[in-house]
Amino acid sequence: MRGVFLFSAIFSILALATITIFLLVSGVPFIAKTGFAKFLFGSDWAPLADTPSYGIFPMIVASLYVTALSVIIGIGIGLLTAIALYKFCPKKLVAPIRQMINLLAGIPSVIFGLFGMTIIVPFIRDYISPTGVGYGILSASLVLGIMILPTIVSVSLDSLNSVSNTYYEGALALGATKEQATFKIMLPAAKSGILAGVVLAIGRAIGETMAVIMVIGGSPEMPESLFQSVRTMTANIAMGALELNGDALSALIATGVVLFVFTLILNVSFSLLKKDNSDKVADKIAGKITGKERRGAKK
Amino acid sequence: MKKIFALILTFALTLCTLGALTSCGGAKFDENKNISVVTREDGSGTKSAFMEIIGLKGKTDVSGVIVATGTAAVLQEVKGNPLAIGYDSLGYITDEVKVLKVDGVEPTLENIKNGSYKISRPLNVVYQESKVASEVNTAFLTFLQSSDAQTIISDNGYVSTKEGAVAYTVVPGLTGEIAISGSTSLKPLMEKLAAKFEEMQSGVSVTVGGGGSGTGYNDAKNGVSDFGMISEAFNSSKADNCTYYEVAKDGIAVIVNKANTFDNISLEDLKNIYNVEAGDSAIKTWAGVSK
Repeated sequence: MRGVFLFSAIFSILALATITIFLLVSGVPFIAKTGFAKFLFGSDWAPLADTPSYGIFPMIVASLYVTALSVIIGIGIGLLTAIALYKFCPKKLVAPIRQMINLLAGIPSVIFGLFGMTIIVPFIRDYISPTGVGYGILSASLVLGIMILPTIVSVSLDSLNSVSNTYYEGALALGATKEQATFKIMLPAAKSGILAGVVLAIGRAIGETMAVIMVIGGSPEMPESLFQSVRTMTANIAMGALELNGDALSALIATGVVLFVFTLILNVSFSLLKKDNSDKVADKIAGKITGKERRGAKK
Repeated sequence: MKKIFALILTFALTLCTLGALTSCGGAKFDENKNISVVTREDGSGTKSAFMEIIGLKGKTDVSGVIVATGTAAVLQEVKGNPLAIGYDSLGYITDEVKVLKVDGVEPTLENIKNGSYKISRPLNVVYQESKVASEVNTAFLTFLQSSDAQTIISDNGYVSTKEGAVAYTVVPGLTGEIAISGSTSLKPLMEKLAAKFEEMQSGVSVTVGGGGSGTGYNDAKNGVSDFGMISEAFNSSKADNCTYYEVAKDGIAVIVNKANTFDNISLEDLKNIYNVEAGDSAIKTWAGVSK
């Protein structure tokens, strides 16, 4: 039996190792061949042209823009949702609302893509976009912002709940309003947990493929406007992976390497933040409160 | 604070609902706005055929292009976007979009067959000779050349190019499986052909998958599928161990939204819309297209 357990444990590590090796072996030589700077910072992507060029810089930029904007949207709405569920919402409603938000996490990304393609893109095209183009960073960010909501809400709410309630009560006892107690005391105390949730959400946003393909437009050019057909790294891989071969396919795998490095960095920072999410921060806040009390006492 | 939140929320919700309601009305065609140029992803057979025919082989896409992955996606975009122009396999067009004449010639079967409609290409299956050694694959290839197949081809809006086809004779007791994959342009037709073949040869099951012409080449070359579908002229360098059979000819229709007021477009204008190197002659708005 022990052998089975061991095998299971090794299996996932083996999978990770295989994927990493596959990416490095088939991607890195291509990057080296094209030239590191030319691949990463080149602005022309034309794998099937007479003289092919493989610059993915516009796609890196597009990926970063889309991720940043969607995380801003997601944090804006998600954090406020978590706070509402934390103290500002009738107790009876908390469980059902949480359930529904969790349900949102279970919706397949292609459904989000369809929603974006049939509702968000036409709406932006007809009513918001100055150029008459609905595809682009704004559409993708809106769709992704909704997709990462469940992550941000549940992680934020969990970290708010894990902060000892005595801080909250203490703040109220000192005359703070509910809002002041939440925003000034509880949020800072839960900060690192929330940050970890944000990093998790960023990881999801930068890696999301299907929903993004359907609303991003897909033109591999430098993003200059929110309403412009662009292409993210994930979209680049998925659009061509089934159709291209030879050097063009290697270029896609090399794009995968870059994406992999990005997600690796995010995951490492996630685990660092998680480690930091100990009582250390809470102690700091506690120190603040007692400090205030002391000052009050001096008066 | 609570009230402000509630107010903002209510306002936002109302705005969203209003927006969703009004978006059903659809926007109008304004020829001074930029053309939304719709194309297919790299590796698509329809794209490479279209670009080659309008003289832009191997060129990159024009700036701002919308890349639709699949024939259905092009249709979907053109259907919903009043400023869009796209191209799609003629057999795939529905009446939800408007088909333009090219240089005054309508893309009818007649015009494609006699060559007066310029934008047409062959739909092929590619296969390894060794695959056809199996009885079931030989039978399928024979079926594709039969008059039964030609009827289905013409009935579905494709151009049958096989002259003097004879009826397919059922091989008694034939069993087996056939895997076909590739071009999404040929796929709908192939599904119909496969269904007919399964009906005639009840012991055979045919699976038809998509993926695009690039997939068709790769799958046939690597033996993943018995037949790969490609919607362009056979290029032996893409699958050197394979040979091909032309199933039918297909016109590529230039399509626009129903709200679009144009009926005709010249090949030259089409080129200037899709050409990234058009420079001064580039056409950006519908007003720039000659009537």
